[in-house]
Amino acid sequence: MTRSSLGAVAAALLASPLLFGAGQALAAGEHGGGHGRAAIGAPGEAAAADRTVEIAMYDNYYEPERLEVAGGQTVRFLVRNEGSLVHEFNIGTAEQHAAHRDEMMMMVEHGVLLADRIDRERMKMDMGGGRTMEHDDPSSLLLEPGETAELVWTFPESGTLEFACNVPGHYEAGMVGDLGIQK
Amino acid sequence: MSGASGRGALGRPRRVGRGLCLAPLFAAVLGVLAPLPAGAAEYDLAIEPVTVERDGATRTVIGYNGQSPGPTLRFREGEEVTIRVTNRLQVSSSIHWHGIILPSGMDGVPGLSFDGIEPGETFTYRFPVTQSGTYWFHSHSEQQEQDGAYGSIVIEPEGREPFRYDRDYVVLLSDEHDHAGATILNNLKTMPDYYNRQQRTVGDFFADVSDRGLGATLAERAAWGEMRMMPTDITDVQDYRYLINGRDPGQNWTALFDAGERIRLRFINASAMTYFDLRIPGLQMTVVQADGNNVQPVPVDELRIAVSETFDVIVRPTEARAYTLFAETMARDGYARATLAPREGMTAEVPELREPPLLTMADMRLAHGDMGHGDMGHGETGEAGMGEADTGEADMGEAGMDHSTMTGEAAEGGMAGMDHAQMGHGAATGAAADPFYAPGSGLTPSAAGGGRFLSYADLKAQRPLYAERPAGREIEIRLTGNMERYIWSINGIKYEDAEPIRLQYGERVRFKFVNETMMTHPMHLHGMWSILDAGSGKWNPVKHVVSVAPGTTVYTETEVDAPGRWAFHCHLLYHMASGMFREVRVEGGPQSAALPTSPARGE
Repeated sequence: MTRSSLGAVAAALLASPLLFGAGQALAAGEHGGGHGRAAIGAPGEAAAADRTVEIAMYDNYYEPERLEVAGGQTVRFLVRNEGSLVHEFNIGTAEQHAAHRDEMMMMVEHGVLLADRIDRERMKMDMGGGRTMEHDDPSSLLLEPGETAELVWTFPESGTLEFACNVPGHYEAGMVGDLGIQK
Repeated sequence: MSGASGRGALGRPRRVGRGLCLAPLFAAVLGVLAPLPAGAAEYDLAIEPVTVERDGATRTVIGYNGQSPGPTLRFREGEEVTIRVTNRLQVSSSIHWHGIILPSGMDGVPGLSFDGIEPGETFTYRFPVTQSGTYWFHSHSEQQEQDGAYGSIVIEPEGREPFRYDRDYVVLLSDEHDHAGATILNNLKTMPDYYNRQQRTVGDFFADVSDRGLGATLAERAAWGEMRMMPTDITDVQDYRYLINGRDPGQNWTALFDAGERIRLRFINASAMTYFDLRIPGLQMTVVQADGNNVQPVPVDELRIAVSETFDVIVRPTEARAYTLFAETMARDGYARATLAPREGMTAEVPELREPPLLTMADMRLAHGDMGHGDMGHGETGEAGMGEADTGEADMGEAGMDHSTMTGEAAEGGMAGMDHAQMGHGAATGAAADPFYAPGSGLTPSAAGGGRFLSYADLKAQRPLYAERPAGREIEIRLTGNMERYIWSINGIKYEDAEPIRLQYGERVRFKFVNETMMTHPMHLHGMWSILDAGSGKWNPVKHVVSVAPGTTVYTETEVDAPGRWAFHCHLLYHMASGMFREVRVEGGPQSAALPTSPARGE
């Protein structure tokens, strides 16, 4: 269930989805990063991937719990939810994750995000102004127990990033990994 | 009484025969014996008088191995522990391992599990450790728990924890009194409001009249009078000194950290009578465990811990500064305080106590509203009176109760006739009110900083312990009392006059707790888990104590998987001692309940 072609993602971003602060970061990345705004990189093409990294998500932690990538590298992540709860694999800065957690909390409060299930129909509900709770950011995968998905990401030349699960409580309990970018 | 004679005789708890070293060695050398458990730990504990310092003076309390609280016992899931307990007091004693699943003969309740431990005697406890998490132990004899006889238990899991932390601290809360527990009980029996220093005054009366009119004020006063209760009856006992890990607020127990670290705090409420509202201004706490069972993590700003509950939280201070851990009593008559800091000696601001809550008419809903006469204590309906032995107990065997109401149990029924406008007293009336408090209750908590306050409804099992299945029958447990005579009871009958509650091994029962009193009761079932119906289906949390607020009905379910005789009681010490207690007798199942056998588990 590989999700989101780039075009669809761009369309989703333009349609001002409720979810996900990385929209701005993505823009910053395209402009070469720096300027005080976090550059987290951009979606990549699987064909151009330099390496493949498998990530297993358990309740509530990752294996591995940290990762080193080279600056500019394109990595194909194969992410499998081995737990019995819903988990996310999301690449971003600590600040972006913090902002995203508020959105995830809203998903819980609206019954979109259940402990072990995602109500993908309800996600499409119009929250007003054409906004929805669709979780379609290119830097993130939200998986039910047993699901597997792929995410291809081209990292910036430098930066301090984390991969994290922003399902309420999970990040705080330690479901977050360091992403070191080697120059 | 001298602490010196006992102290040091046994020293700190000794761990001998750790499976990894001694036991297998012997087994290998001897080449005999049955296969040993994965590990085995041995402890020696002496129950003895110990001295503690308070306000420059020394007091003698009851402790273990020279200290109160006793030493933290560290077990590992899967091992068998042997604990030799020697009583160096002048009176009989016991140790109950609170929340630990074990054979009934090892449960440490005199009269049910065993005969108690007489002065000079050593009793050897031996049981397999089949669980992990944060627990505690305490005396189950007389009122020794009030006098310092408690300590913590930390059980390391077989696998990894579903959360991460860099530091790990036990934070044991307790209430210490200048009066011995036995004296307090006697005073309460003689004069139930002996310790209530927050009685309403004539001034309050005129303030109420001007706020709400004479008629409403008089009617309400009359209702309270009939209850033999007062709106300030949040707690029965005051003048406590509140402690964290045996230190009073001035002694300021301190936990060290480096900025950015995750700290696991294992909160244990070892108080005799006191509920605490816990917060750490400047830090969110992520609740990861309740009563030793992991829960899906919930970030909160504040939480209420009932007597005998435990909650484990993860905090992550990012600044290298001091943070105050503030544990305000539910009655707001005092606080326990500790500090998290990068270095010893650092302190942070200690918040002011908030205004004491006042009970409202909502808190007497069941006692007053449902009965219609507000005559609790007069025994007219047999609800709360003495000697009405025909109520309640008889219908225990009835099946076919309503199992269908899965959400908002605590707020169900009976509210229609109540006029909320008359409740006043600034009761919490938030839209997202906690379903485990009566609507309009004066006890509904709210976070000091306006953030999130943990509710039982937030607790979801991290991994369900038992498969879901319907309960075979429902047993009603009405929590009743007569404040005027300081008699607390279940279904109107106190312990001495009651028959045991008989359960059949292998069944699943549903308990319906109906709190008909004005007090909050932390109900504790020994030996088996209480699955709290929090409206979350298979994710309902598994606990060993369930707090039932006034005017509410709360349901739990229990898989009856442990044969033998078990205690079931309110964990408020003086309520337990006054009759809010039952024996639960599990019939059938494996024989020789006293032998260490692993309890059967679902799944």
